[in-house]
Amino acid sequence: MQNVQRFPAEELFKNEIDALINAEKSPIPTGWKMSPKSVLTYICGGEVNGTKITPKYIGNRRLVEICISTLVTDRALLLIGEPGTAKSWLSEHLTAAINGDSTRVVQGTAGTTEEHIRYSWNYAMLIAKGPCPEAMVKSPIYNAMEKGAIARVEEISRCASEVQDALISILSEKRIAVPELSVEVPAQKGFSVIATANTRDKGVNDMSSALKRRFNIVVLPAPSSVESEMEIVETRVNQLSSSLDLYAEPPQKDVIEQVVTIFCELRNGVTLDGKQKLKSTTGVLSTAEAISLLTNSMALAGSFGSGEIDAYDLAAALQGAIIKDEDKDSVSWKEYLENVMKKRGLEWRKLYNACKELN
Amino acid sequence: MATPIFFGVRHLSPAAAYYVRQELDKVRPDIVLIEGPSDLNDEMKWFCHSQTKLPAAILAYTQQTPIRTLLYPFAVYSPEYQAILWAYENNIACKFMDLPSNVFLGIREETDKNTDNEDEEKTKETNKIEQGVTTEQVYKRLEEVLGESHDTFWERNFEQLEAFYMEAATEFGKQLRETSTDSDYRVAENHIREAYMKKVIVQAQKDGFEKVFCVCGAYHVEGLKNNEALTDDEEKKLPRTESNVTLMPYSYYRLSQHSGYGAGNEAPAYFEMLWDAICKGKIEQATYQYLTELAVRQRKQGQMTSAAEVIEAVRLAQTLAKIRNTKYPVLQDLRDAAVTCIGHGTFSEISVSTADVEIGKKIGELPEGVSRTSIQDDFYRQLKDLNLEKYRSVEVQQLDLDLRENLRVKSQKSAFMDLNRSFFLHRLRVLQINFGTQIQNRRKDSAWGEYWNLHWTPETEIEIVEAALLGETVESATSFALKERADKSTNIAQAAEVFEDAFLCGMPKAAKYALNSLQKLSVDTQAIVEISKTMEHLSLVIRYGDLRKFASEPIIPLLSQLYLRACLTMEDSCNCDDEVSNAVMESIERINQVQRNHDFLEEERWVSVLNSISDRDDINTKCSGFAIATLIERGLIEESLLAVEVSRRLSKGVPADLAAGWFEGLAKKNRYSLIVRLSLWKELDNYLQDLDDEEFKRALVFLRRAFSDFSANEKSNISENLGEIWGIEPQQTADMLMRPMTENEEELLQGLDDFDFGDI
Repeated sequence: MQNVQRFPAEELFKNEIDALINAEKSPIPTGWKMSPKSVLTYICGGEVNGTKITPKYIGNRRLVEICISTLVTDRALLLIGEPGTAKSWLSEHLTAAINGDSTRVVQGTAGTTEEHIRYSWNYAMLIAKGPCPEAMVKSPIYNAMEKGAIARVEEISRCASEVQDALISILSEKRIAVPELSVEVPAQKGFSVIATANTRDKGVNDMSSALKRRFNIVVLPAPSSVESEMEIVETRVNQLSSSLDLYAEPPQKDVIEQVVTIFCELRNGVTLDGKQKLKSTTGVLSTAEAISLLTNSMALAGSFGSGEIDAYDLAAALQGAIIKDEDKDSVSWKEYLENVMKKRGLEWRKLYNACKELN
Repeated sequence: MATPIFFGVRHLSPAAAYYVRQELDKVRPDIVLIEGPSDLNDEMKWFCHSQTKLPAAILAYTQQTPIRTLLYPFAVYSPEYQAILWAYENNIACKFMDLPSNVFLGIREETDKNTDNEDEEKTKETNKIEQGVTTEQVYKRLEEVLGESHDTFWERNFEQLEAFYMEAATEFGKQLRETSTDSDYRVAENHIREAYMKKVIVQAQKDGFEKVFCVCGAYHVEGLKNNEALTDDEEKKLPRTESNVTLMPYSYYRLSQHSGYGAGNEAPAYFEMLWDAICKGKIEQATYQYLTELAVRQRKQGQMTSAAEVIEAVRLAQTLAKIRNTKYPVLQDLRDAAVTCIGHGTFSEISVSTADVEIGKKIGELPEGVSRTSIQDDFYRQLKDLNLEKYRSVEVQQLDLDLRENLRVKSQKSAFMDLNRSFFLHRLRVLQINFGTQIQNRRKDSAWGEYWNLHWTPETEIEIVEAALLGETVESATSFALKERADKSTNIAQAAEVFEDAFLCGMPKAAKYALNSLQKLSVDTQAIVEISKTMEHLSLVIRYGDLRKFASEPIIPLLSQLYLRACLTMEDSCNCDDEVSNAVMESIERINQVQRNHDFLEEERWVSVLNSISDRDDINTKCSGFAIATLIERGLIEESLLAVEVSRRLSKGVPADLAAGWFEGLAKKNRYSLIVRLSLWKELDNYLQDLDDEEFKRALVFLRRAFSDFSANEKSNISENLGEIWGIEPQQTADMLMRPMTENEEELLQGLDDFDFGDI
């Protein structure tokens, strides 16, 4: 067990979930493990009977309220956002808190078939015994329907449209027909689906409006303020560097601040003080990218450098992360260097010079 | 004598409006006193007039500049308005009880005078804040704890009350009073107001009104209960200023623009819905109405919104309300539910409909002749100040302005009289008040002359009253109008126009605002033509801003940014066809001029761009030619280098149209210096000599076009040059040029007209 690379949320935060369940006072919806308010506390943090609940989602609390309310009204929930806005993270923790089980997942890919959504067969047994319940291989969604739990569909827009359509009947009828066994399985109370989709994947397999109508859609934004983004980056970088054994000093606060500021400004197309609009880049520049940029620089500095991230490492990493589409991005980046970074004063001077050298 | 009844309200609160009526029905007082300027008692009747339609506002304003104003807006769901209406319907006395507006404005004036010494005041203020918390901070803390705006807090906790509104609101006001300490001036102002109100109450009791009913802000209830009344002596000492007070029609839109307690509210149309619902005893109706109306508006805009989506939105809104422990959804819940279910997760999809449903387009009405707004007064005062009164006639009169400082007069005011007139007339133009129309400058080169036709019609007066909805004075209305236009502009040309208007109106703040939106829009602008035009314009303002006493420093960063972008994208823009090339060359010229005019624009960068345009072979050759011409003009190209370039561009292998195009670009500029450079013509000659007949014909057609806009004089100078190269006497050349064409030559030219352009 020690060497498991990643534990599911309900195991990692078992004591928090137990504490919340023990302290429960409000009514619990059918099929749920705790009340909507406790779920909110689990996600957004707080304290219950002396147990500190760590915040899992740092950001707009109101959005979490909308997500939970959606699931209470037995509607399916669709989380949309740029890459790296914690869609899957949120969906995992929601199911962990509501059902105590976040593992009923269908991963949407180009290779996902209708069977992954509904059910398939154990062919050896099918040939030996003919169609019978034992020969059936149930999908996570099928399982969730039987148990009255919540299933997750990741990256729904990467599935082919016929696979997406298979969800429509499940979501509107709330039952699944198995003609081979001539049975119809109704969903138990508490069944719902949380799907995630990526805005950058638009056009890969656009969702039909019929399917969209069956979801309540919540758009997850990038972190609203630099402070909250810095908080996220710092915690994650520290966690990662200890688990990955990087042999480098964790980045200084001002380095994190610089990276997050640059990412934030270029992503939003406006300087932090809101005074100056900027040309944004084609890349996403998500928080997740900022994290991996910093851990990469740490790996570089640890393995080949002085063990501490310097301006030169950072400039190279930034250049690579920001300029994705050669022409447009390099114009935006150069304008940013000249119009914004150059005027920022001493602390930025080193980084500016290092970046300028590369251009 | 019975103790007076205090009904503490929140201004513009539907529940307060409803319960104040309930309470009035129950108590049936002898007199109703309302928090509002007591010098407006005579005007109160207009609120109940059959032709009056709310929203309307009470506006008090000082007669002297700087104009200070005091505004009490009323909507149909204002508790004060409902109380007035109730008194009217039941034929019971009703009066305003707050300070007369002239005293109120007088106090504000004094306060401002005393706080002029800002630094000192600020330290005092911070000390104060360290000791306690201001009302704003209490609200802010409330918002932090709840994670919701305090308007939402109020709506959740008070608008849905089914009983005890009066007690709840009073308690809230009391606690707010206990927890917060405001600045000395605010405390003093409240103290005076409360003492005055108390005095009116006591007076009413003395006048024999047994049951007195007071409608005032919940905050004041404690003060009115406990404080002493103002004595007559004290009242005499209160500062006063000359002021007018009037009713004016108001609009929901304006109401929504002023957020903050009392001054307005964010969603007037929604609150009217809520008011209707409360009156019917069905608060939940507001939920249905809001979401259904939103859906209807979405459909009108061509968005498909099904009834099922509305139903889901209602369910979600109700669950959201439950999570926050409220019985019915509040505006925030409704909006969030609408975004999730109707807007598919994005607010932008429903933003237009939301504005319609929440704010609405309602505009109030008053019987004719009731309102005499401050903007009208301001207009006439300025007319007088600027000596323009005689132009207020139906006859069209002309006015010539000289914007320069008039050095022959003594006072500062008359020295800049014409400039101020120009500001005034431009402001009216921006407000679409048809009084002056500008006519073209008679002398083209004088930036200081302006010519106007002035003409007054009865409609002008109406237009001024309409402008009252934008602001209290001509200046503030203009600034509002400009700000709105700046927000609405979608490309830099529009924003630049707003900026220009603000500049012409002499309003640096509005200009700065427009500049901001210009900066925002410019980021997405790639078109070099637009960028260069804007640059040219900004440059003009920097250079001639002095004339209008306009500080140009804020423009410099934007100009530098545009310059940088122009430099970065110029090369790509030169990759264009012949049709666009002229516009691109004009842009090069504009940027070039702007760079020359301002030292803060790095010359090196521009020169390197020009060099690379001139060197590149894969872009429109006209642009390359023009770039080198620009460099020549700057004196950066040696004669020898030019010769090399000319022979490279004009060599046999180069297609004739490209070669001639390059020459055309080159010849756009500094013709005189080109004409005198003999080496250039030698190279051109060599080129032509090298061509075979067919190539020559083609080249001739293009070169003819290139030379088409040379003047006759220039052409003959060139001919003389060529003559010199060919060793012909100048005299002979002249003879040759003067001589009429022979038949043979005519035929040759005719032949050229038949030239086959097929593959060009």
